[in-house]
Order: sequence, then structure tokens, then C-alpha cells
Amino acid sequence: MRLLFKFLYRVYRFMSGLRYWGYRRFTRAGLIVLCGVFIAGIFGTDSDNNVIYQGFTFLLLLLVLALCSSLFFRARFSAIRHLPRFGTVGAPLAYSIALKNLTSKPQTGLAVVESLADARPSFQDWLDFQLAYEQRARSFRYTQGKRSNPFRTANFKIASVPPALSDQEVRVECELTPLRRGPLRLDGLAVARPDPLGLFRAFARVALPQSVLILPKRYPLPPIALPGSMKYQQGGVALASSVGQSDEFIALRDYRQGDPLRHIHWRSWARAGKPVVKEFEDEFFVRHALVLDTYAEHSHSEAFEEAASIAASFACTIQTQESLLDLLFVGTQSYCFTAGRGVAHGEQLLEILASVRPCKEHDFSRLERLVLNHISKVSGCVFVFLDWDKPRRDFVGKVRTLGVPLLVLVVAEAGRAKRVNAAPPADRPERFFVIECGKVEEGLALLE
Amino acid sequence: MKTPPLLIGAALAFWGWQTGFLIPGIIMGLSLEAARIVRARWEFSDDDLHRIWNLCLGATFAAAIYAFNANEGPAEFRDLFHNPGFMSQHGAQFATARTTMSVLRWLPMIFFCFVLAQTYSPRASVPLHVISFILRHRLKTARKLGAPAPVSRTFNTAYPFFGLCLFSASVHSTDDTTFFWGFCVLTAWALWPHRSPRFALALWTAVLALVVVLSYFGQRGIGQFQSYLGNLNPQWLGAFARRRFDPTQSQTEIGTLGRIKTSPRIIIRVEAPSGVPPRRLREATYRAFKNRTWYSEFTENDFSRVSETNDTTFQLFDKPVPETVRISCYVPGGKALLPLPRGVGRLENLLAYNVWKNPLGAVLEEGPGLVVFDALYGPGPSMDSPAEDVDLTLPERDMPALEQVVDELHLQGQTIDQALQTLSRFFSTQFTYSTWFEQDRSSHRSEPPLTRFLLHTRSGHCEYFATAAAVLLRKIGIPTRYAVGYAVHEGDGKNWVVRQRDGHAWTLVWDDRHKTWREFDPTPAAWVSMDARQITLMQRISDLWARVTFEISKFRWGQSHVRDYLLLGSVPILLLLFYQVFFRRRRRRSIQRGTNSRSIDWPGFDSEFYQLERKLAVLGLSRHPSEPVSMWIERISEHESVSEIQGSLRELLALHYRYRFDPLGLSAADRRKLQSLAGSCLEKLEERSVPEPVSR
Repeated sequence: MRLLFKFLYRVYRFMSGLRYWGYRRFTRAGLIVLCGVFIAGIFGTDSDNNVIYQGFTFLLLLLVLALCSSLFFRARFSAIRHLPRFGTVGAPLAYSIALKNLTSKPQTGLAVVESLADARPSFQDWLDFQLAYEQRARSFRYTQGKRSNPFRTANFKIASVPPALSDQEVRVECELTPLRRGPLRLDGLAVARPDPLGLFRAFARVALPQSVLILPKRYPLPPIALPGSMKYQQGGVALASSVGQSDEFIALRDYRQGDPLRHIHWRSWARAGKPVVKEFEDEFFVRHALVLDTYAEHSHSEAFEEAASIAASFACTIQTQESLLDLLFVGTQSYCFTAGRGVAHGEQLLEILASVRPCKEHDFSRLERLVLNHISKVSGCVFVFLDWDKPRRDFVGKVRTLGVPLLVLVVAEAGRAKRVNAAPPADRPERFFVIECGKVEEGLALLE
Repeated sequence: MKTPPLLIGAALAFWGWQTGFLIPGIIMGLSLEAARIVRARWEFSDDDLHRIWNLCLGATFAAAIYAFNANEGPAEFRDLFHNPGFMSQHGAQFATARTTMSVLRWLPMIFFCFVLAQTYSPRASVPLHVISFILRHRLKTARKLGAPAPVSRTFNTAYPFFGLCLFSASVHSTDDTTFFWGFCVLTAWALWPHRSPRFALALWTAVLALVVVLSYFGQRGIGQFQSYLGNLNPQWLGAFARRRFDPTQSQTEIGTLGRIKTSPRIIIRVEAPSGVPPRRLREATYRAFKNRTWYSEFTENDFSRVSETNDTTFQLFDKPVPETVRISCYVPGGKALLPLPRGVGRLENLLAYNVWKNPLGAVLEEGPGLVVFDALYGPGPSMDSPAEDVDLTLPERDMPALEQVVDELHLQGQTIDQALQTLSRFFSTQFTYSTWFEQDRSSHRSEPPLTRFLLHTRSGHCEYFATAAAVLLRKIGIPTRYAVGYAVHEGDGKNWVVRQRDGHAWTLVWDDRHKTWREFDPTPAAWVSMDARQITLMQRISDLWARVTFEISKFRWGQSHVRDYLLLGSVPILLLLFYQVFFRRRRRRSIQRGTNSRSIDWPGFDSEFYQLERKLAVLGLSRHPSEPVSMWIERISEHESVSEIQGSLRELLALHYRYRFDPLGLSAADRRKLQSLAGSCLEKLEERSVPEPVSR
């Protein structure tokens, strides 16, 4: 069986390579002509009933001449790519390239095609992904959407190059859309010249390795009051650079569950029609834990990507001016990153989340130990789980017995939310939400 | 991607030219290209387009069924199941191929509606979920769950339709180069907007010319290569052709082992006004017998054209023809021999392009796939040529057996009538009819098949009997010929049907006294009853289906008047559709008009206040655009002609506003008050002279 999978993996590598090559090399008209060659080639064999073989030779020779003409492109270029530091999954990333014509002739009608680093998975990753999909897919449900190319890292637009005289440097505006978080590596670029018929591109390659960190996609979160009250923090005033509880009054804010009644500002309540409390500078402040479950089925799990996006959405939305946010997860080891109140910024959490990978080295108990060791410091916990099985239910139960308020989010693969809901209701904490891949925004809108 | 001007129109005209639908092609092309001139557009929602797409798919399905019937698909497949074998397998393949080709040829016509809808809609492209079942299902599921609709790609139908036109234009077997040149021109036309601006026009033209020249020789090379491959095994190619009689030769099954396969498929229908049909319908006649095969000793070049006396009447032989029989038969491939009664003189109501005949009485017809005609026949001379020496030739290998039988029957010296009686008796009493032949393991197995039949086995099918009778009569000096065709014996209501298994062979005997050919059927009459035993329930069902397909084929090949009625019946429907499309369609929108021209029935639209407003406008006190009515009244109240009614005007405006915007409306009393106030104001304004316009 493994031999068969190895063979299929080879087929996958060959086909994906061919597709990548075809989309870069052929123009849209060229792709249409290529399709025409295939169709004419198939039907042309029956020359008793049709004469499409006459068109086959014409189309085939069009492509052959176009391919031959690509051998006669000898231009040389140098390039500097001006990339931003970060990009975001799904958001177009605009940047520019300074391209210099190193030939003695002016160059016109050119285009720039980016060369992405080979992002095809290893055999084991590919196999894990395929097996996980097969387990999930239902027979004869061909309308279930399967991601067409889950391993693709980015879509790029072919950018046209303005006319460049000899030794002239021109600016090329480019755009690519990242599809996966993490570092996006660019090997170089190719300056493309279409053939006279406009079917096939000849390449002059420029080695230009660079990378840009792609942050997770963020979703808008409704204004949510996270669970938990202020707690004494040992870091004390050193951490309390902005907000806390001391004799020095700082500001007014909305009442949160657990705030002492004596801090209620009655006149503001009367004016605003809702409870408002006074804030003081002190070593008492709110500290939340954002726990990310990294125990995904495989390294390209869609649920894991969405979980990272949800965690990033929380990291962006929680007012780290007013509180601390601890990001806890298990990778090759246990990690706890703290942001807020001058310790670190939310952007740094996003960078960390951009690089989080599924954990295969440790079991779930590692995350459990990490959180329980940390739980005494935090006011409340936000769990982003990938499943709602017994170990996770037990873990949540333990945290609840410690009296820590919780918000539990379970990210389910598309179409599997109902199975998560089928868990016994007694195990559910008061704030429990199931978020389905593909409907994350709607799911998060229910958090209010 | 937008197509260059006139490209789609030219592609459709080219398709029409290549496939014989020139007029429809030109009309469709003009309809699409007219969108560049006609500015009117119709809004089609995604659901509308999906319905049109479904209509096109339904039409494709209907066309496939129709083409399958028209190309004798059911019959061929029935043959395949009744008599599985190499021939029936290839017959089914051939029908499938022809069906496919027919549908492919019609595709531009079928999908024209869809392209037309997009062309005359304001859309530049169509979402993919309109045509994709899977994407549509996902969209529906998302809607049902309240999830956001999945992003669907869009596409412009123009280029796919262009490709479809070119492809469909190629679906014909005419071996000339018109398709090649048209294909090159249209493809170059389509590639024109995509050429690289880096290169000069001359280079583009030169490259294209080089491709055209190379591909011209290339396609000729491919054509020759395919012919070469085909010639390597002509039998393989020939197997695709439908089994039918060859006017030049007839290979018999004499000497064949196993069961002679026969098919119950109905291939001819016969109507005889007299109530008695001819017993046999002949298709071809042969003269020389060599090695199990009968030869006519004529070629296809010996067929002479029969000129029609009017559009549908063909005079074959000038003689009195008192009897009439109506024959309906399929013409596979549009060209075949006609089954005709002996002594036929004239064919009437025959919708044929060409009719030829050969000296042996075979009539070849070229025309539609089904013909229904009247054959007028009578006794006496026929169009067969008189007997010649070749009608007396004998197979050398069978001479000893022939001499033995002639001696045994004392045939030598008998008159023609006596000889026929003797032979008839000989075959009916001492021979049996059989379509099953076992391996001969006796000492006679090295003898020729005909000799074995005459002397030892004495069992065979009609070809044995006809051949044996022909050569025995020749042995005693009577010229004979071997005729093939069909026996008519099975009634079907008032009419008769002829099945494939009714294919028969018999002998023509030259009557030197009357200088005419007589038919002699030496096969024992039992063969008819033996075949009739094979009729089953399945047979009856398939006969019913054959009847349906026959009626469809009659319609398809213009052998009925239904088409005329349909055409006449469609006129009022078309007129109604025309009226609906151009005069009743509410969603018609002219892109020239920026504003919405729908009449709106607002509440309070009949308020008398508007009359007053118009009257004041006539007096030069018109309201400025976007000026609120209350401000307008304030502005004009200073004018002397309005000063008298300004109090009433304010009250009137309050009532008017309530009438227009209050959900409860006005009571009957207030409504009357509004009317009376407006009336009195109007009267007062009438009394005043036309004032000076108020400066703005």
C-alpha cells in the first residue's frame, strides 16, 4: 500500500509541478490553444467522421513555434524587490521591484513572474493530509468542497514591465495574495517575454531569494467582555505601567464581573445608564490566558489554520493597554508569551502565531500541565480547541473546578460542527461555542 | 476577454457552411453580432441563466435521443443483444458514432440561446455556478444554512462558444481543405488581440503564415497516414458499414458452419391497396457463381441514371403496371438498393435525390435515410436484360454432382415448366430447410459444399436451394440468375412487415418463349414457419418500439406532413412569444435611459395639491428642483397673486402631506376639505392676472 501511495505522491508532485510550470509559461490564449490541441488530438483520430485533425496540426504548430521562439530570448536583468515586513493571509500584498535592463537594447512588452520556493509537502505530510481527508469525506458526496490545492502558498499576479532602455531601471508594481501563514519564501523572479503570437513566455531568470512573514487571517470580534476579574500580579508596578488598582485614579470603564462594588462610579452609572467603575494604577490587573490547541490531525489541517486565525483575532482585539494576555501552546516545547501593559505588543503575538506549527512531539497532557501551572496568575481563560474529545473535556472540567472563568471555542472542520454539538451538554461550560471552518466569522459574531 | 468584432458571427457562418446549416448559421451570427449595434439589454438573473442552461441541456438530451433513433441506434443495439457478434457489435458502434457526431454537429445551435442571453444582458461574464451542478448545489446549501455564498468564478461564454463552433464545423467527412482554411483564418482572427506588442505586425504575419504552410502539409500528411493505416486492414474499416446487398457480388453462407444468424428487426413495411402484396421484393441479381460467391459481372459504373418524370416519379421500364404497393424502407447511409417487386415499371412519391438502375434490375437510390414510395408493377417483361451466355456458366467443381442429379431426375430434355415442377418436388420432398450446419466428419468432407448439399446432406438454407436450382437448370441449358431480396409473408394489421431474417434468395429462370424472366423459389415453404416460431414477447415489444421509431423517422426524413402542421402551428406561438418579449417584458431595460421609467403608484398621488402646483408654475411661480414644498410656499407667499390664498395654502399643504405620507391617510371629511380648499385656491388664482415672474 505504501508503494502505491509513493507512486501517487510522485504523480502529485509531477502534476503540481506541471501545473505550476504551465500557468507561468502559457498565456491565457496559449492555455486555450493547448486545450484545443488536446481536444482536436482526441477527436481527430476519427477522421472518418470529422476533419478536426486539420485544425490539430495548425494548433499544434502554433504551440511548437511559440515554444521554439522561447529559445531565442537572451536578455539580462538585475532586480531589487522592496517587500514589506508582514503580509496577511488572504489580503493582497502590494510591493514593487526595481528592475534594471542590463542589455544594450531597449526592452518592451515584458512581464515579471515571481518564482515561489517549492512548497510541496513531504511524502509524510502529503499522506497525512490525504488520509485525513479520506476519513472525513463521505462516499458519493461529490458536492463536498475539497480544497483544490491546499499546499499552495500564494497567488501572484503577472505584472507588466514598463519599457526599459539600455541600463535603465524601471519600477514594477507587483501584487501577490498569500494563502498560508508563516514565512513566504520567494526564490527569485523571471522576466517573461511572450512569443510573437502571444501564446508562450520565454524567461530570463533573476535569482532574488527573499521572504516575508505572513500573519494569520484576523476576523472582526464583537465587543466582548472576557471572563474574569483582577488579580494580584507578582510583577507588580513594573508591569503596571498603565492601568491597575492603586490610590491613583486613572480612568473610568465599563463594569466587569468581579469588580468591587466600592469602585462603582455612581454618577457615571446614572448618566450612562449602565454600571461604570473607576480604574486605579496598581499591581492588581486583569490577565487573560489564550490557550491554543496545536494537536492537529496533520500539518495542513484547515481547522488548525482557523484556530490560529481565531487566536490572532483575540490577540488583536483584546485591549492590551488594560490587561495582560498570555498566549499558551505546545510546540516542540511548552510556550507562554505575554503581551500587554508595555511588556510586548499584540503584533508580536501575531508573529508568534504566524509561526505556530502543529505539535507532534508531545501529547495533550503537556498543554494541560502548562495551563494548570499558569492558571493561578490569570483572571480568565480563552481556549481554542481543535476537538471536543474526552481529554479536552476533562481538562476543561479541571480548570472549572479551580473557579477560573472560561470561554471555550472548538474549531470543527467544515460540516462536522454537529458532531461536536453531540457531546453531552453537562460537559459544556457556560461559554462554549463551536465554530465551523468556512463560517468562522458568523461563529465569532455569536460571542457577544 | 472580449472577442474581436464579428468573430463569433463569422465562426457561426463558417459552422453553418461546413455542416449544411448555412442559413441558420448566418441568422445566429447576425443575431449575436447585432448586439454591438442594438443598445437594448435584458437583465437575466443567475436563476434565469440557469434555467436557460437547463433548457440547453434538455435540448442536448432530446437531440441525442432523436439522433440515436435517426441513426438506427435502437435497432442496432437490439441486434447486438439478440445476436451478439462482431457485425452487430460494429453496427452498434457505428450507430453510436453517428449519434455522437450528429449531436456534436448541432451543439452551436443548441447552446445558442445561452450565449444569446449573455450577449444581450448587461453582464460581461456568467458565474460558473450557473452551469455547474456541484457549485450550484454548494450555493444552495450555503443559502439554506445561512452561510455566505461561496465565491464563484465567472467566465465569458464567447470564446468557449467560438471554440465549439469551430469544433462542430469539423464534424463532417468531406475530405477537402475548406475547413482547414476557415479554421486558420478564424483562429488567426481570434489570436489577433493577444499578439505581443513587442513584435512588429510583419513578424506576426510571417510567423502565422509559416504555421499555416507547415500545418497545411502536416494535415495532408496526417490524412494520408490515416488512409494508409486504414488500407492496412480494409476489413476493419468495412465492418463499420451496415450490412446490405452489394449490387456487384453476393457472398453466400454456403459451406458456413454453425447457425446462420438472423435478426428479427423490421426493416421494410409494405402496404398493398389490393390486399395481396408481392411475395418477394428483390434488391439485386447475379449471374456467375464462383467459390461460394455470386457475381453480377457488372460494376457500379454500369448503373445508369433514371431521370424523373416529375419530382417524385421515376420511370424504370415502360410497360402496363396495374398493381401498386407502398414500400417503406430505411436507406442506410443515404444510398442503398431498393427492394422492389418483380415486374416493377414505375416508382412514384419517391423523395430521392438520384436513382440509378443496372441491367440486372437492381435499383440504387440516393436520398434521405428513410423512403416511403409507391412501386407500380405488373406481369410480363421486366427491366432485366435478356439472357446471355454468362447466365449458363457452371461451377466446374460441382459438375459431377450436377450430372448425377440431372440423371437422377431425368431433367435433360424437359421443358421449362416440367423442369421447374420436377425440381420443386425434388427439393420439397428430399431436402430439409436448416440454418444449422455441423462439421462434416464423413468421407465427403473434402467435396465442395454445393456437391455435399445435393448428394449427401440435403439440408440447407435458401442460398443453397437457389444456387442449386440455378446451376441444375443451367446444366440442362436453361439460363438462370440468382436473385436476393426479402420474402413478404408476415402480416401486421392490414399491412405487412419484413424483418432482417426474411432476407431470401431465389432463382430467376429465363422463359425463352415469352422472352422474360420467371421467378422460381425452390426453398421448401417450411422455412417461413420455422422462422415464425422465434416470435416472443420481447419481439412484440421491440416491434412496438420499431413502430415508434419508424414514425419518428418518417417525421425526421420528411416523409410525413407533421412538419407542415408543426410549422403552421408554431406561427401563433412565435407571434405570442414575440409579443411577450418585445411588448410585455417588464424587465426590459434600455441602457440609454438612465432613469427608471416604471410608473409608480404612490399613495396620495391624486392629491389636488398638484393641480395647484401646476397652476402656480403656469403663473411663473414654479418650484425649484429639490426645493421642499414648504419652503417654496414660504418663498412665493410674498407675491401679490398668492398673498390672498397663503393661509389656505399652508392648511392645504398640511392636508396634502397627511394625504401623501400619513400611514392612516385622511378621513373622508379631511379629503373633501382638501378638495374644496384646492378648488377655491384655483378659482382665486384664475381670477388674477398673470403676474411677473419671481426672481430666483
